[in-house]
Amino acid sequence: MVLPFQSFAQRQRIEPWTESQLMSPPELAKIINESSKPTTYIFSIGPTGLIKNSIDIGEGKEKANLDRLKKQVDKLPLDARIVIYCGCCPFDKCPNIRPAFNLLNEMKFTNHKLLNLPKNLKVDWIDHGYPINE
Amino acid sequence: MILSIRFLVIVAILFHSGIPETLAQSQGLEIGNIAPEISLPAPDGNFISLSSLRGKLVLIDFWATWCGPCINEQPLLARLYKKYGESEFTKAQDFEIYGVSLDTKKASWEKSIRKMKIDWIQVSDLKFWGSPIAETYDIQALPFNVLIDERGVIIAKNLHGKALEQSIEILIKK
Repeated sequence: MVLPFQSFAQRQRIEPWTESQLMSPPELAKIINESSKPTTYIFSIGPTGLIKNSIDIGEGKEKANLDRLKKQVDKLPLDARIVIYCGCCPFDKCPNIRPAFNLLNEMKFTNHKLLNLPKNLKVDWIDHGYPINE
Repeated sequence: MILSIRFLVIVAILFHSGIPETLAQSQGLEIGNIAPEISLPAPDGNFISLSSLRGKLVLIDFWATWCGPCINEQPLLARLYKKYGESEFTKAQDFEIYGVSLDTKKASWEKSIRKMKIDWIQVSDLKFWGSPIAETYDIQALPFNVLIDERGVIIAKNLHGKALEQSIEILIKK
């Protein structure tokens, strides 16, 4: 039941990420295209690792895949630049991003981000011509 | 909602009965166009083309095992397939579903087909959103579907639930 005096913000889903932890697609595309930038670790926690230089972990809704992600990032310093993405569907329907982002929160990473693909990987990445794995 | 369903059904009837032959000869994504050809492999590796289904009423269902709403829709498609599969329509004979999966992993795709007992046509190039077919059909989100008549002409797009069922029902030969 939604109480009438609840504010709009209170009725919103509380996400494990903050606004500043959302990375825009052009920003990530720029990072990928400029190899002189410090290393950014890009992990796909969706159906496939389509984005260039990303590591395909598997869908974040599966515990086995979360274990794989944990193993991949375990060796990284806590301030490592990490970007995760899914892109299967709009954020509100995606079953993968929250478990994966929560894991990084729990591991106390300080510089991890979620790629902002509000609709999906096709509309928000491929259709813009951003780099993909061939 | 009811009004919009009625509107869509009326549109489908009008288009089905009144699409000029000249319009129906051009390929495109608009209602009245011939649906672009698709020819992709089934799980057994054999290619099945959309054009091989001429003469039937065909629902092209774009889906994927990683798409929750698509999975939720499969029981409805199973019911429609069972109900209308061998029906006689005003112009078409039989109803077929041509499932195009945007999956990436063949094992997941096959597992879901088995688990959900999908017995209609299934094809995929396993290229996710990178599939050329997703580009050809300008798919912006899943699930997405296209209903085509016996000539391969698009008569409705992206209908779900009751709107989809009514659009098929209305074409049954009385």
